[in-house]
Amino acid sequence: MRLRWLPLFPLFYAAAFLVLAHAFQGGEALAPFLFWQRILVRVLAAAGCFAAVSCFEPGEHLRRAWFWLGAGTVVILIRDLLRLAPAFDPQSAGPGAQSLVTGLGILSNLALLAGVWMLARSWKMAAITLPGGRSGVGAVAVVTAALALLVAGPGALQHLRELSQGDWSALVLVVSAGVDILTLCLITPLLLTAVSMRGGLFSWPWALVTTSQLSWILYDFAAGLKPGVLPAGLPLAEVGRGLAENYLFAAGMAQYLVIRQVRRAAASLPAAEPAPSAAVS
Amino acid sequence: MASDSSSIFQQVAARLTPYIGSFNAQMWIKSVARRELGLPPEDLTARHLPPLIDGLRPFLQTLMGRATAENLLQQIGREVH
Repeated sequence: MRLRWLPLFPLFYAAAFLVLAHAFQGGEALAPFLFWQRILVRVLAAAGCFAAVSCFEPGEHLRRAWFWLGAGTVVILIRDLLRLAPAFDPQSAGPGAQSLVTGLGILSNLALLAGVWMLARSWKMAAITLPGGRSGVGAVAVVTAALALLVAGPGALQHLRELSQGDWSALVLVVSAGVDILTLCLITPLLLTAVSMRGGLFSWPWALVTTSQLSWILYDFAAGLKPGVLPAGLPLAEVGRGLAENYLFAAGMAQYLVIRQVRRAAASLPAAEPAPSAAVS
Repeated sequence: MASDSSSIFQQVAARLTPYIGSFNAQMWIKSVARRELGLPPEDLTARHLPPLIDGLRPFLQTLMGRATAENLLQQIGREVH
């Protein structure tokens, strides 16, 4: 039954977040609230990823995938926390501090890309047949690639222009936008892997990782809006980030719970009884 | 003979379905039966069970790890006749 609650948790969180953010009415308390809730969702996402890591033995493919996702989340969490220190304040940081913050941002993005890439290619390693045939897979790939370029492309171009004008602080944003486009394109194999295993317990982690990636589209869309378009009490980008991180947490926990359930069932069932139904999870 | 053969396919698929879904369970068994044994899945009999389990092992190991996959395959080996 716990698995069924996992997809709902990020939605409940987002609703509670919006109510609280609205209550601050754009006042001074809003900024620290946004910062600390960002830290909270990053901690949850990392915890989910490392719970999934704990299910696998060293050297196993999905252990590496979840490790990279967890490591990427921890690195970006460290970067966020560093910004609390006066030396790393974005307004006053020196070149060395700025380089470190930029480096951590790039490192995190690359680690997350590696993790999503490894999860996305699991279907090939496990010989999973993606539904829809070549034309179906191609159609979903074209739609997700178009969506990725539409949402993250303009931001990427703008940051590229800033970088070309000598603004090196835009480097992390360029890398981030590039990684966004690539990871959004990887939604296709993630989504189709989940669909292929529909009705089975193992579809849960892939479905939730897919939802996490889709939530980043909301983040990219909201982050690309001009200031003032949205009311101050509606931090839509933070909603998208919260959903993405919480769905990553849910995906990691789903991986952990599903494997634990298989182990329990395999160890305890008498020979004549069938395996438990996927619906009762 | 025909009912025995189809029952191996159905029994193994039924035991994999709660974990990887019905579509994927059937595709895996068909793939292993054809590639490893050169047989359509309907022709599988009890004596094909060990090579079928061996053929399924790498797929399951990728999804759930070596130890968990081994537990599940042992369970299938015990239950399917």
